[in-house]
Amino acid sequence: MKKNTAGQQGSQRLAAEKQSSAAGSGRIHPVVIYPFRQPADYSDLEALYLLIAKLNVEPHKYARPITVMDRKTYYAQKGDPRFLAFRKNTVAKHSDILDSWCVDTCQMWYSGLGSAFERGTDEDVYWLIPGDFNYGSAVGQEVLGRLHDLPEIALELRQDLCVGEIATDHNNSKQLIDTYGTFALLYNWFPVEAQEIRQFTERPRSEFFAVRHGFLGELLRQRWFAYEQTVVMMLQTVFTNKRISRFFVGNISDLPEGRESFASAMQQVERTERVLKTVWRERNQPKSNWAEHYRLLEAQSEQIRRSALVILQNLLG
Amino acid sequence: MSSYGPKKTLRAVNFICNAPQAQSVSLVGDFNAWNPTAHPLAQLPDGAWFRTMELLHGHHRYAFLVDGTLTLDPRAQGVTRNERGERVSLAPVS
Repeated sequence: MKKNTAGQQGSQRLAAEKQSSAAGSGRIHPVVIYPFRQPADYSDLEALYLLIAKLNVEPHKYARPITVMDRKTYYAQKGDPRFLAFRKNTVAKHSDILDSWCVDTCQMWYSGLGSAFERGTDEDVYWLIPGDFNYGSAVGQEVLGRLHDLPEIALELRQDLCVGEIATDHNNSKQLIDTYGTFALLYNWFPVEAQEIRQFTERPRSEFFAVRHGFLGELLRQRWFAYEQTVVMMLQTVFTNKRISRFFVGNISDLPEGRESFASAMQQVERTERVLKTVWRERNQPKSNWAEHYRLLEAQSEQIRRSALVILQNLLG
Repeated sequence: MSSYGPKKTLRAVNFICNAPQAQSVSLVGDFNAWNPTAHPLAQLPDGAWFRTMELLHGHHRYAFLVDGTLTLDPRAQGVTRNERGERVSLAPVS
């Protein structure tokens, strides 16, 4: 792992950090997850980094932003002068780039949030910002104007987790995956917790969220799955009676590079099932009859997954 | 209050509760200590209940009391819980 710190962390920022710490008020740590596949059109990333540039010049309120970039992304683009210029003159100018080899997006989250956590204090909040959305569109600009609400809600109202929800139509692939896959599987493995989660959000796999220092510390110390981490976080909020909020961030759609095919949807449903199985076993293995109960749930889970895949194939295939 | 909390900027916010059959509707929230009598809404000719409130900059937890029953605002931008653990709505004021 290689860190490339741009020269913006001068004495002014350090002084601001000390002043903020002395005042006892929390700060917000923005963590940008750079798109795994570099979009040919930079307009969405340019719009996003206009926001990051603004955050970067408010050191009393925001810590120096971090951008997590997968090394595979870098090597795929290293011969492209436009990419190298954007990385150097925009991304590195307004944020610290955390170059990391990652198996999946959730490992990028883990690296970025973990790195930010080590810079933070008890009152701080960590703000995850996915890079692969259409921020350059008119609707995307509106969303960019609302995203700051997530960490501010966590700070002002002392929430442990604030999840951003995006509006999609009923036939949107993410909506279909959550309706027929994620929630159906959650109702099987964690029926009580699933009902509580659904009281707050229809998007338990949201990539927009802000999390408080103490809760993030708990999450980082636990097993970290390489995928579907928001679902695990949502479950943990219910298991440990944490304070959770949901906030609508707008209507936004994935960039074409990130839209799900049936194969991708299938993979996401299967991953969700694997994660839920593991979490269930970890919580229930101390019980004497856990194996029998597990076999029953696993048989039901297989039926649910198969049904979900039939529906997804009909609608996305 | 943290540096992110409500500032001294007031902004008018409209609250609309569509409950034509209700006998009374009031607005409760952090801004009035969840007092059920502090901010009643007025019923409009179309049956909806309405009130404009001036709220400070920041994020506010609130709900409607419809005939005494705590009711979420379906038009709200967010959902959270109040200090009593009840599910309530969330309004950003900027």
